[in-house]
Amino acid sequence: MIEFFKDRVIETPANYAKTLLEISPVKSQLSPINIAFLSSYTSEILNQYISVELAKKGYFSNNYFAPFNQFEQEVLNQGSDLYNKNPDVVIVHNMIEDMYPDLVVNFAKYNKTELESITQQITERHKTILKSLRERTKADIVVVNFSAINIDDVGSVYSVIKQQKNQYIQDINQKLLSLCNKLSSCYSIDYMDMVYKVGVQEWVDRKLYLMARIPFTGQGQIEFGKILAETIYSIKNQPYKCLVLDLDNTLWGGVIGEDGMSGIQISEYYPGNVFKHFQRTVLNLRNQGVLLAIASKNNLNDAMEVFQEHSDCLLKESDFAAMEINWDDKATNIQKIAKKLNIGLDSIVFFDDNPVERQWVSDKLPQVKVIDVPEDVMLYGKTLYDSNYFNFLTMTEEDKSKTEMIQQNQQRAELSENSKDIDSFLTSLNMVVSIGTSDSMTVDRIAQLTNKTNQFNLTTKRYSTAEINKFIELGDIVLHLSVEDCYGEHGISGVAIVKKSGECDWIIDTFLLSCRIIGKKIESVFLNEIIDIIKSKKASKLYGQYIGSKKNHLTKDFYKKHDFDLSDKENGIWEYDLQKISEAIDFIKIKRI
Amino acid sequence: MRAFNKLKQVVSDILEVDIDDINENSSPDNIEKWDSLSHIKLVMAIEVEFNVKLTPDDMMDMLSVKLIKMILAERLE
Repeated sequence: MIEFFKDRVIETPANYAKTLLEISPVKSQLSPINIAFLSSYTSEILNQYISVELAKKGYFSNNYFAPFNQFEQEVLNQGSDLYNKNPDVVIVHNMIEDMYPDLVVNFAKYNKTELESITQQITERHKTILKSLRERTKADIVVVNFSAINIDDVGSVYSVIKQQKNQYIQDINQKLLSLCNKLSSCYSIDYMDMVYKVGVQEWVDRKLYLMARIPFTGQGQIEFGKILAETIYSIKNQPYKCLVLDLDNTLWGGVIGEDGMSGIQISEYYPGNVFKHFQRTVLNLRNQGVLLAIASKNNLNDAMEVFQEHSDCLLKESDFAAMEINWDDKATNIQKIAKKLNIGLDSIVFFDDNPVERQWVSDKLPQVKVIDVPEDVMLYGKTLYDSNYFNFLTMTEEDKSKTEMIQQNQQRAELSENSKDIDSFLTSLNMVVSIGTSDSMTVDRIAQLTNKTNQFNLTTKRYSTAEINKFIELGDIVLHLSVEDCYGEHGISGVAIVKKSGECDWIIDTFLLSCRIIGKKIESVFLNEIIDIIKSKKASKLYGQYIGSKKNHLTKDFYKKHDFDLSDKENGIWEYDLQKISEAIDFIKIKRI
Repeated sequence: MRAFNKLKQVVSDILEVDIDDINENSSPDNIEKWDSLSHIKLVMAIEVEFNVKLTPDDMMDMLSVKLIKMILAERLE
């Protein structure tokens, strides 16, 4: 957060209005972003909240609010104001009560056939809106889903109709979500979840709704602005990769070295259940692909006994990608963890109940995000979620099994230590590399890799799913690579984008491998395959580009090592003589898929 | 008097006018930004800043700073 926001209190609508006026002079410290808002109500009322909340996240937003209920007019017409504003993010918020006023207040009037027909109309309409947006703009799309709030019947006694109505809306939301998932860079956010947080009675103001068609109170608007800003931030930035945890009084109550196995608090009953509950939260993050690690001052054997023997300790040794349990200081241990996992310190979040340790880590390793852990253990989980460091807007199968992959990698590393000659070690891995062209199943993962790969990445160009799809449309070659070896599968962990430049010339625009598969000559195999593919296209020239960054030093000599000649030093362009025959690597099997 | 200054501050924040330019006669007729949308913003801000609930009639009657001041005084009693 920029200095401007330090010690500034922004709580009320007037605070927001004032802050909005005062942001402009510091706009040079913020990144510009264009937001377009399509809605069935006067969404302009949200302007100050969206702008101020985005500014807190480092963006200076230029907001365009389409006139209300002009979805099709704005979306289907290529020359509309929406497209002229060149949006980076388009927010779509169509409220179901604005389309069908009876649905929310007089649900009982409909029979089954009518309801099915309405579902059909709503989903078809949104399919058209979202697909047209996807075809006409590169912007990320955020769709706010439907809710069935009728402030008059909230909390009234049991009513079958009310339950049927809620179920009906949920079913439509399910359809909307799967529609979003089918489109690239299209995300759905849950309206009711925001309402729950504030409370329905605080969210709706009859006067505002009936006099001005504004569906939420000032407090609701503030909350909405916050959620939208968080969502936009999470779309534009990758989540953190690793959560480093302390043990005593963090994952269990008490100190294992002093209280022993029977003395520490972790059980089905209070107060042990508070820690058990937090462990579930931590496991939920692990199961979404967050790497867990431990930095704890303890005797290793004491701590391991808990993981191995304590029946109420849900977290097991195998849930952690790295453990540093010793008496070294925590900054040193976090550095060791980063090295072991091959990730940057700036992708680590640290969670420790001890404020002294937190201060130490903050001072020594300013890149690490240190969570301000509250004293109340019951708030640990909420604090972790509220940090918004681990918002996953997309989820691939690879993400879910990341810890297993890292562990297999560590076994490989151990084997490497025992192995004398590198080639014979690599041979013993029985690697099979599969290379395929991008399709709808893989494009999200490809975009994700371009956005989060830093070390083995020749150009560090970041692309959205929409951009990748555009390349494919233009006839560029987008390849993905996955590896399998004697320890298991790595999933998609390499990407190359080869673009046509001129008649018969091709340039390797992007070439990257996830760090867990580097150092195995897979990169050479991948490059050889690209050369073969290009040759088969009757190409006359193949170029490769290298753009140096803070993190990709490792790949500086990649093209040199592979027989490319530097042809344009200023732009880092290397040329390959297609007459040459590249060195074959026979210990890796190649499958074209 | 303190309440009036606070009111002027809110009007100034929401309607983007200098606080010194606001007086009892300030109204949609002489403040450019005071349109129907800003009016709603202003009512919402007043409700929060003064912790009052205003009625639909209040909202429609608040046609100048003087009228806002009078209605607010009534509600704050």
